[in-house]
Amino acid sequence: MVTGPATTAAPTAACERCGGVLHPDDRFCEGCGARVPGASEQGTAGSAARGTAVPGMAAQELAAPPSSAKLADPDDDRDADAPAATGAPRRCRACGGTVAADGYCEQCGEPAASERDHWSDSPAPWVGGVCDRGVRHARNEDAMALAASGSFAALVVCDGVSTAPDSDAASLAAVAAALDVLVSGGPEGAERAAGSSAARTAAFSGLLARAAVAGNDAVVASMREGVGPDHAPSCTFVAAVVDDDLLVAGWLGDSRVYWLPDDGPAQQLTADDSWAGELMSRGVPREAAEASPQAHAITRWLGPDAEDVTARTTATVLDGPGWVLVCSDGLWNYCSRAEDLAPLLRGFAAAVDGDPARVAAELVGWANAQGGRDNVTVALARVPAPRTPAAGGTAPPSAEAADQGDDRPEHLVDDEITTPVRRVSEPAGSDSLGSTRPTKD
Amino acid sequence: MAVFTAEVFQNEFLPQGGTDVHAIVTLTSSGAGAAATAQGGVAEIIMVDTSGSMSGRNLDAAKHAAQVAVDQIADGTWFAIVGGSHVAQRVFPYPNAVRDMVQMEPGARFEAKRAIATLLPSGGTAMSTWLALADRLFATVPQAPQRHAILLTDGKNESEPRAALSAVVRNVTGHFQCDARGVGANWQVDELREISTALLGTVDLIANPDDIAADFRDLVQRSMSRGIADAELRVWAPQGAQVLFVRQVAPTVEDLTSRRSEVNPLTSAYPTGSWGDESRDYHVAVRVGSKPVGSEQLAARVQIAVGGEVLASGLVKARWSDDDSLTARISPEVAHYTGQAELASAIQEGLAAKAVGDEATATVKLGRAVQLAQETGNDEATSRLKRVVEIDDPEQGTVRLKRHTDKLDEMALDTASTKTTRVRK
Repeated sequence: MVTGPATTAAPTAACERCGGVLHPDDRFCEGCGARVPGASEQGTAGSAARGTAVPGMAAQELAAPPSSAKLADPDDDRDADAPAATGAPRRCRACGGTVAADGYCEQCGEPAASERDHWSDSPAPWVGGVCDRGVRHARNEDAMALAASGSFAALVVCDGVSTAPDSDAASLAAVAAALDVLVSGGPEGAERAAGSSAARTAAFSGLLARAAVAGNDAVVASMREGVGPDHAPSCTFVAAVVDDDLLVAGWLGDSRVYWLPDDGPAQQLTADDSWAGELMSRGVPREAAEASPQAHAITRWLGPDAEDVTARTTATVLDGPGWVLVCSDGLWNYCSRAEDLAPLLRGFAAAVDGDPARVAAELVGWANAQGGRDNVTVALARVPAPRTPAAGGTAPPSAEAADQGDDRPEHLVDDEITTPVRRVSEPAGSDSLGSTRPTKD
Repeated sequence: MAVFTAEVFQNEFLPQGGTDVHAIVTLTSSGAGAAATAQGGVAEIIMVDTSGSMSGRNLDAAKHAAQVAVDQIADGTWFAIVGGSHVAQRVFPYPNAVRDMVQMEPGARFEAKRAIATLLPSGGTAMSTWLALADRLFATVPQAPQRHAILLTDGKNESEPRAALSAVVRNVTGHFQCDARGVGANWQVDELREISTALLGTVDLIANPDDIAADFRDLVQRSMSRGIADAELRVWAPQGAQVLFVRQVAPTVEDLTSRRSEVNPLTSAYPTGSWGDESRDYHVAVRVGSKPVGSEQLAARVQIAVGGEVLASGLVKARWSDDDSLTARISPEVAHYTGQAELASAIQEGLAAKAVGDEATATVKLGRAVQLAQETGNDEATSRLKRVVEIDDPEQGTVRLKRHTDKLDEMALDTASTKTTRVRK
């Protein structure tokens, strides 16, 4: 759960369904996703407002839960999260028992989830995501940062490379820095992208490229002293900017953006910078490519040893309601094809009233149920964004808007929406396979 | 206030399907301070065998030793002297005194030593009566939570059936601690071991009566230096898990498993008696439900508690991995103490077999003991074994029983069998 410093310090209640600790402005339990009864309008407005905060604010908040101390020494997560620090007992995610000061459940011995291991965020009712350690990995090297304001949203996911130590810190630094750049093109940003779809596409593509560079700089800056080139931290990068009907995505590596419209064919918008992606671009069928031994070796990444950090970008004009899905390979390993992901997501969405954070939690839970061999991150935006009453960029005032889910009237039909447009800009030399990273698993 | 630390030695990695977690937990106390003698929180009783067999050098030495011990008992300590034969008698305070125990002060020390000097040998030996009297005397000083006794004998507990002794030992367990000492070669190691094990003390052989005084001085000094009256070992295991055993493995091997009492449904407590500044090792084995590869879970919390307050906690973990290089490793500490515990039982079983004339079993068991002593680097055990068996091949554990062995050598091997060596770092 991503919350401001004041709310992390004072969890006040327990979830009725699973016993998880609730923070004052939580609308859903971070443990099980159950709705918090009586979550106030004010609380809703408050959390929505987080997404509309001044650019940079969101990024700081996102960096808050795993504090800088934890970044320096991720193994100490549990101690830092112990009840002594927060003042209230925590609940075990496995059995609902009390987590003792030593970081393990008093009943079943389950280690407490650190906030770095699992968190969810929902900066607006139509935007939400979950970042999770998965089952098999000891650390969560995925990272996620989300921001939303009005009908603008930015979703960033980075997947740290396991073979490099400190990739968990690197990926977290990268998403925060990248989001910082992207929100500058949002409603309150200094570089508000406006105008025609083409003009905004160009502006957001530029921002995405700069976001990748900023993410790369943050990874480099996160390096501890004395780390040799063989252990340089690194991570993938993928970001999606949703602005009304426009979706612009940028990426390096094999984290993905999908567009899953309610009607019409589902699409994978990104093309992996991976050995498998390279094989597929040469005509090898997806199944065969993704099953090849080096399938997960990525060919481009962020990090000190990256040769090229120019993000590839793609823009899509969204011609109807649907889901923008940004995810790490922890999800798509188990369901790669867009046409398979769409019904999976729709099924979960129907079950949880279309709330993005809960749908994301369901998808993460599903990936873990398939084996959870890797860290899993799922970030979702439900488009169209609920129409805001004023152009001031405030989020919808109540949670009811989100409740309506798929039944919402399609009131966002802009004049300029025509046929879906897809434009992909390819950076020079992006097809080069000059170097590869080892597989991430 | 005493400070405890807990250190855990284990290989937390289990293979897929693995369920049994072993760990050695080292508990170390510091700042225990001296026993609270001045506040009257300590009570000490010395039980001296006065049966007919003691007459002569043994009783003279025992009387001297008891007097030396009285000199070591700090002022303010509640104390009494018991003379034991087939009945027990309070020697000091004098039988006609109103008080069952008195606090030590110079006048009492002088009178107690005079009372000890008057002891005369007569009668048989029924140690249950001695323990029962000591228990009654301790019961009169409830203000003294730290209670320690020394029992000295030279002979077999011949005046009563073994069951009578066992019954009284059970009755008084937990009321006081008792170190048991046997002088000469005519006492039974297993009888005294039963007493000392149940009463959280030590058993030892004093071959030469002249050494009794030095031993008593050490025992009383050690008792007086134990600033922590009573500590309990607590073992928490997760719901659905099973504690396979809890064993003290250093300085001596004592199986605590059967001495369990319940703190709460998931936590068991085992008595450890009083502590000075010292370090003890415990081997804890827990069986947990297997979890998928990659999972982690806490298998046990091993804690030391004084007065109901947990002062240190060691975490025993389980992590399932498919990496053979991680899961195949055995913790050297676990391996070492597993061997030492088996060494103790091999020696005891070997000597017991030898005593009843089962030479085949004795040869196998003592051969195994030689092998284990060699493997775990317990040179003292090896040298004691050499007095009882001829060692042909220590690696293979090939031995021959010596035809003529000194009874004292066998008893020394037996009493010392539970003493362990620490892991060579």
